[in-house]
Amino acid sequence: MSQPVILKSNRYGINLILDEDMPFEQLEEAILDKFRESEKFFKNASIAISFEGRALSREEELSILDLIAKNTSIHVICVVDQDEMREQLYKEKIDNYYQNVADNTGEFYKGTLRSGQVLKCDTSIVIIGDVNPGAKIIAKGNIVILGSLKGNAYAGAAGDETCFVTALDMDPVQIKIGNVIGRSADRGPWESIRNRKRTMDPQIALVSDGNILIEPITKGLLNSI
Amino acid sequence: MSEVIVVTSGKGGVGKTTTTANVGTGLAQLNKKVVLIDTDIGLRNLDVVMGLENRIVYNLVDVVEGNCRIKQALIKDKKYPNLFLLPSAQTRDKTSVNPEQMKKLVDELREEFDYILLDCPAGIEQGFQNAIAGADRALIVTTPEVSAIRDADRIIGLLEAHEIKKVELIVNRLRMDMVKRGDMMSIEDVQEILAIDLIGAVPDDEQIVISTNQGEPLVGSHDSLAGQAYENICHRILGEEVPLLDLESKGGVWTKFVGLFKKN
Repeated sequence: MSQPVILKSNRYGINLILDEDMPFEQLEEAILDKFRESEKFFKNASIAISFEGRALSREEELSILDLIAKNTSIHVICVVDQDEMREQLYKEKIDNYYQNVADNTGEFYKGTLRSGQVLKCDTSIVIIGDVNPGAKIIAKGNIVILGSLKGNAYAGAAGDETCFVTALDMDPVQIKIGNVIGRSADRGPWESIRNRKRTMDPQIALVSDGNILIEPITKGLLNSI
Repeated sequence: MSEVIVVTSGKGGVGKTTTTANVGTGLAQLNKKVVLIDTDIGLRNLDVVMGLENRIVYNLVDVVEGNCRIKQALIKDKKYPNLFLLPSAQTRDKTSVNPEQMKKLVDELREEFDYILLDCPAGIEQGFQNAIAGADRALIVTTPEVSAIRDADRIIGLLEAHEIKKVELIVNRLRMDMVKRGDMMSIEDVQEILAIDLIGAVPDDEQIVISTNQGEPLVGSHDSLAGQAYENICHRILGEEVPLLDLESKGGVWTKFVGLFKKN
């Protein structure tokens, strides 16, 4: 083998191919060198890792992970065993991780989103203000609007159809959740202005049987989310 | 203290130039020293509305390119000696000037004038970027139509991104009869969508067409509701509290009352 350590990356993580014969201490040095070379590329990345080419003991594995944690800014989420090393598995782990992040954390945005403005968010988002026609919010998690939704909202942008969109005044042009799109009824813009409600009527948009369903927020509904 | 105000809308044909001419003239009537700048390079018409086309020798591009001094390009108004126009160039395009040059020009004019009004071209491209470069304050002109309001909303977002804090709304060409019938958005409808302060509402008035064609702004004319509406906007720009005009009394009691008052 020309190189004692080969670092292969795929979409969800990296695959370390290790020399079988090299003494472990020396191998560790080589791994460290390899990671230092590519430090910039992997900066602050959250990845899955797998080992190949050499049977590692539990202690050795931990020692390598420790090395990575101490010397680089890479965040290793999980180790994938050689036997079931499949990109699919990586994908699940990573997607779950990001999904948990999206489900449990969120950001705030205060102000009116106006035509032409796009707000993107890797987590859930709470907007304090209106989303006007022509504006767009894209969130990997849920979208909560304390104001009117008159533009476009796209929740669960990573593909999660269990996400939801709520607004105090729900009058969207389009809502997309996961891969499901719902659009407003065919009526002119004037119609929605003339028929607008004078009172706040909080509603929630969810995916139900492959369609976007908008209904009033009830206690029961909130408990079922 | 001088203030630079850009008059803008996004959509064309909603009354930016008419508003600039009338507000500028109105501020001059209130004894402010005012300069109007037409930033619509290639499609100039503020000079026509002001009736000053025949006096143009130098223009905005000449000033920026150093072909003349600012003073040489400024045209004094026919009626008000404290009102000036810096016309735009007709044979050039928007790329002849950049935002830095506009800002420098406007800052030079600040030393001389109380109010600098910039008539912005339609659109959001370089002409718009030039017009807002040196502005402290913006008047958004819109008509009560969904297309104009959609564009105004986009413009407000862009102005906010440029950190122009004082952004106020003029609803132009209101027709109260249509509002009453439920066929046109009311001032409240427009305000609810745009969510910015209203500085005035101007009724649809055929006198405006006549005055524009004659090249004489009608601000302050008591025969016309639109003229009064523009006068009120000028007072509000100066920070005075003026109640909104009753747009339904079409040349009614109030006009006659003012007429009597004038005679005394």
